[in-house]
Amino acid sequence: MIVDVLTGGVRGGTAILYAALGETIAERAGVINLGTEGSMLTGALAAYAITAETGSPWAGVLAGAAAGGLLALVHAVMVLGRAANQLATGLVVLFLGLGLTSMFGAAYVGRAISPFQPYPVPLLADIPWLGPIFFQHDPLVYGSYLLAPAIWWLLYRSRVGLTIRGAGERGEVLTAYGHSPQLVRYLAVVTGGLLAGVGGAHLSTAYATAWFENMTAGRGFIAVALVIFAAWHPLRAVGGAYLFGAALALSPALQARGLGFNQFALDALPYLVTIAALVLLGRRRSNAAPEGLSRVFELTPAK
Amino acid sequence: MSIRRLSRRAPLVALAAAATTAVLLAGCATNTTTAASTDESAGAPGTGGTAIGFIFVGPKDDYGYNQAAYAGSQAVAAAYPDLEVLTAENVPEDDNATRVMESMIRKGAKIIFATSYGHKDPALKVAAANPDVVVLQQGNLVDGDVPPNFGTYFGTVYEPVYLAGIVAGKTTKTNKLGYVYAFPISQTLDNINAFQLGAASVNPDAQTYVVNTSSWCDPAKQAEATSSLLSQGVDVISQHQDCTATIIRTTESAGAYTVGYHADASELAPTGWLTGSEWDWGPLYTKMVQTILDGEFTGSEYNANFRVGLKTGDNPFVQSAYGPAVDEETKDLVEQAKAEISAEDGSPFAGPVVDQAGEVRVPADTIPDYQTIESIDYFVDGVVGQIPSS
Amino acid sequence: MTDTLVRPAPEQAKIVDNRAKMWPRVVVAVLAAPVIFGAFAAVKGVDPLAMYADMAMSLVDPTQAQTVLVRASVLVLAALAVAVPARAGLLNVGGEGQIVIGAVCAAGVGLVTDQRLPGPVVLTLMVVAAMVGGAAWAGIAAGLRLTVKVNEAITTLLMNFIAIDIMLLLIYDPWKDASGFGQPASRPLEDTARLPLFVPGGTLNTGIVVAGIALVAIWWLMSRTGWGFRLRVVGGNPEAARRAGLRVGTLLVTSMLVGGALAGLAGLVHFAGTEFKLRPGMTANFGYVGFLASWLALHRPLRVALAALLLAAIAMTGDSLQIDANLPAASVNVLMAIVLLVVLGFTRRSNK
Repeated sequence: MIVDVLTGGVRGGTAILYAALGETIAERAGVINLGTEGSMLTGALAAYAITAETGSPWAGVLAGAAAGGLLALVHAVMVLGRAANQLATGLVVLFLGLGLTSMFGAAYVGRAISPFQPYPVPLLADIPWLGPIFFQHDPLVYGSYLLAPAIWWLLYRSRVGLTIRGAGERGEVLTAYGHSPQLVRYLAVVTGGLLAGVGGAHLSTAYATAWFENMTAGRGFIAVALVIFAAWHPLRAVGGAYLFGAALALSPALQARGLGFNQFALDALPYLVTIAALVLLGRRRSNAAPEGLSRVFELTPAK
Repeated sequence: MSIRRLSRRAPLVALAAAATTAVLLAGCATNTTTAASTDESAGAPGTGGTAIGFIFVGPKDDYGYNQAAYAGSQAVAAAYPDLEVLTAENVPEDDNATRVMESMIRKGAKIIFATSYGHKDPALKVAAANPDVVVLQQGNLVDGDVPPNFGTYFGTVYEPVYLAGIVAGKTTKTNKLGYVYAFPISQTLDNINAFQLGAASVNPDAQTYVVNTSSWCDPAKQAEATSSLLSQGVDVISQHQDCTATIIRTTESAGAYTVGYHADASELAPTGWLTGSEWDWGPLYTKMVQTILDGEFTGSEYNANFRVGLKTGDNPFVQSAYGPAVDEETKDLVEQAKAEISAEDGSPFAGPVVDQAGEVRVPADTIPDYQTIESIDYFVDGVVGQIPSS
Repeated sequence: MTDTLVRPAPEQAKIVDNRAKMWPRVVVAVLAAPVIFGAFAAVKGVDPLAMYADMAMSLVDPTQAQTVLVRASVLVLAALAVAVPARAGLLNVGGEGQIVIGAVCAAGVGLVTDQRLPGPVVLTLMVVAAMVGGAAWAGIAAGLRLTVKVNEAITTLLMNFIAIDIMLLLIYDPWKDASGFGQPASRPLEDTARLPLFVPGGTLNTGIVVAGIALVAIWWLMSRTGWGFRLRVVGGNPEAARRAGLRVGTLLVTSMLVGGALAGLAGLVHFAGTEFKLRPGMTANFGYVGFLASWLALHRPLRVALAALLLAAIAMTGDSLQIDANLPAASVNVLMAIVLLVVLGFTRRSNK
């Protein structure tokens, strides 16, 4: 059963991981985007729609990324250009995403697509235990395996990453060097939305192979919470995403074996797990926040 | 407060006062208008309208429950080209439904179909407020007296599910059947139990594994539920969900068999489709509309908790067409069973029926009535899974 | 390093100068929203003018108008639940969950007492239970914020999902109505314990009075009491507040408790005024729309009433969208979001 739950964890956690990786970049630049959920939704719909129209899930992924990025651009304009409150704007952007996807998604509810197929990696897929858990998934999952370390490298080992982190910690330093912190933040937020859109695309074209109103069901919020308890570190976000995915997969796995727990207690489990993780790691984590972000979060100094 | 702030507020306050006053006045005007309309209703309820309204709880192309209801509404539209058929999808099962129905009445509808069981309370409210309108509610039951312009109706869902269970039981190679459901409501429990009883009647070793998703349509959870069933060796999967596509496609990709529900989705599973159950509302809807238009609704069989099954007439819930994998022997068994349960002394729940704990719930040689079946709150022996219960 | 991300000093002067010009901007901004939404509708093949005409017509109907007021009462309370903590600088996104818990607590008390005690007593007990429940639920998030420094926006958001699961757990098993044909809902509240109607047979219930009292009470609390003043200081400049010796932590917690209590009250008004039983999906986004309303009103209590009325009216028009314009009801979220975006983006305010 553990194998099943972990496999489900990887499979279900991938969408969240993409969104979390994207949000990590945005938050490292000092902007929090609660509208990530909206970007995931628009990404999911755009991907599904384009896949339905063109027959290619890869085209769908591109469309999903674009849609997610576009919605995040709205957030960026509001927050960076008009100095609106970040948290409130994020939620408004979410509502926008919800409404838009309902309006334009109605036409796609029943339509079938040719989704991503699972592609077992030759040789690796046969390893006992690790094989099914990691190597029998669709291409987007494999993409996330590469993306997480790539983002880690980007943030910590590259010039671009330094610029991003600089924008989040001390924007003035960037200005002194002739870069525009605002531009960096804009790009970071849009990239965050792009990746969230890919996450949404995974949800609709690979995981559930369907579109339905509000199908992300809070995953975007989980991604944002994840970024915090991963201390804005991309590799730890992987663990968190899979943990949450596993919590989501636990209920069906238990039930399919006839082990029943209360259906609703199990449903609440992923959220409880997330809060517990935040509580356990909270104090340490909040000190690791990029300073620009701290101003958004903390309104009182440590008590 | 400074003068500036006050003066800035003044226009706003004035606007607010005006708006609220207008609204309140409009509200007070309610009683006079509704009183007038009740005096006008001379004809039988449901007559004299220009439209028929249908409200659905979900989208009309969900390959499931709402699609079937929508198809029924279109059948009515075809049968009565002089009447306008108004439809509203995604109507939530709360007060919003009341308003939607009232809007339809304002547009000339004298017959309203509220097609989801959660629409009952709003439907009753609308019926009470509009005695000249016939409100029909799909799926629920009314306690006590049924108002003269109201009726509930439904088919007997578990009958074709029982028959489908026979096909499943005969076809499975692993003796493990799967059922994905949303919530442990009585209709679902009836279905799961009937499925298992049908399978067990031809294959005593068959078991039904059940997984819930806490949602009538959450494709992500459906995918996860289906995968976990498949990984347990289940090779025939059925479901009680509003949207059925995800589960069917996932099952088909895994090479397992599908038993459908709500609608014929055989095109999604060309190899694995066995059979299913689907709604054919057209004939029943049309019959009801005709009775109403003839002015004969009050006191008719529809002015009650109308239930129809194989025994009493044409069950609007019919068995879907067979897929390629079903052999003749199985089909014969199904025909036989159908004849048995259609008989006076037959029922999918004919005793003895034993629950998971081994307790006999329906004694041998007894046939439970519809009310008893609708109140089932246990799983029968052979179902693997638990219901939240004390 | 006390400035925010994007406001260099010179712009601060601009704020003061432009206050007088703000209202025309707001009006233009709010008018822009229907235009943008109309554009979206046009893309979907809907005639925007006809759509707005239908939406307006649907509001004028007397029953609809009453329903708008009923909904607005709940929204006012939900919005105040966001507004009070917001004045202290906290973000309470947990309105949805607090409303649910409030309704659950009210139902718990009500269903035990409604057949034994007189109506007004039951109602009073339910009010207390709802407010205590909502406050406790919000208090958890506040406590987490102060002890382990987890931001309350995240925790309250996650707790919304948990609250709904708690309600579902209760109505599917221990509280399920035995005579409800197996459906997941609690037994309906006795007539005596329900919120009385203004006109028998009408739709408007005394929830609007509750909302009105709460509105005045909060206005008085925020602008006329020491507590309210201290809260606003904390919200305006927490560092200065701390240095001035204000007990910031206590103030934050109490503001969340008050917010939670208000949301709980919203749950009671919805439960005892409209629903009379707990059932899945009963709260229908009141918490989130209340959040939007509070931001629309920039957290000032009296403006909250207007914002709640406006959003309640917009939400009602969702039906017209469905029936007349053939757009999904959730499309109305687009309109609400655009209204909010323009207000958030084109009005400057004195704090945050």
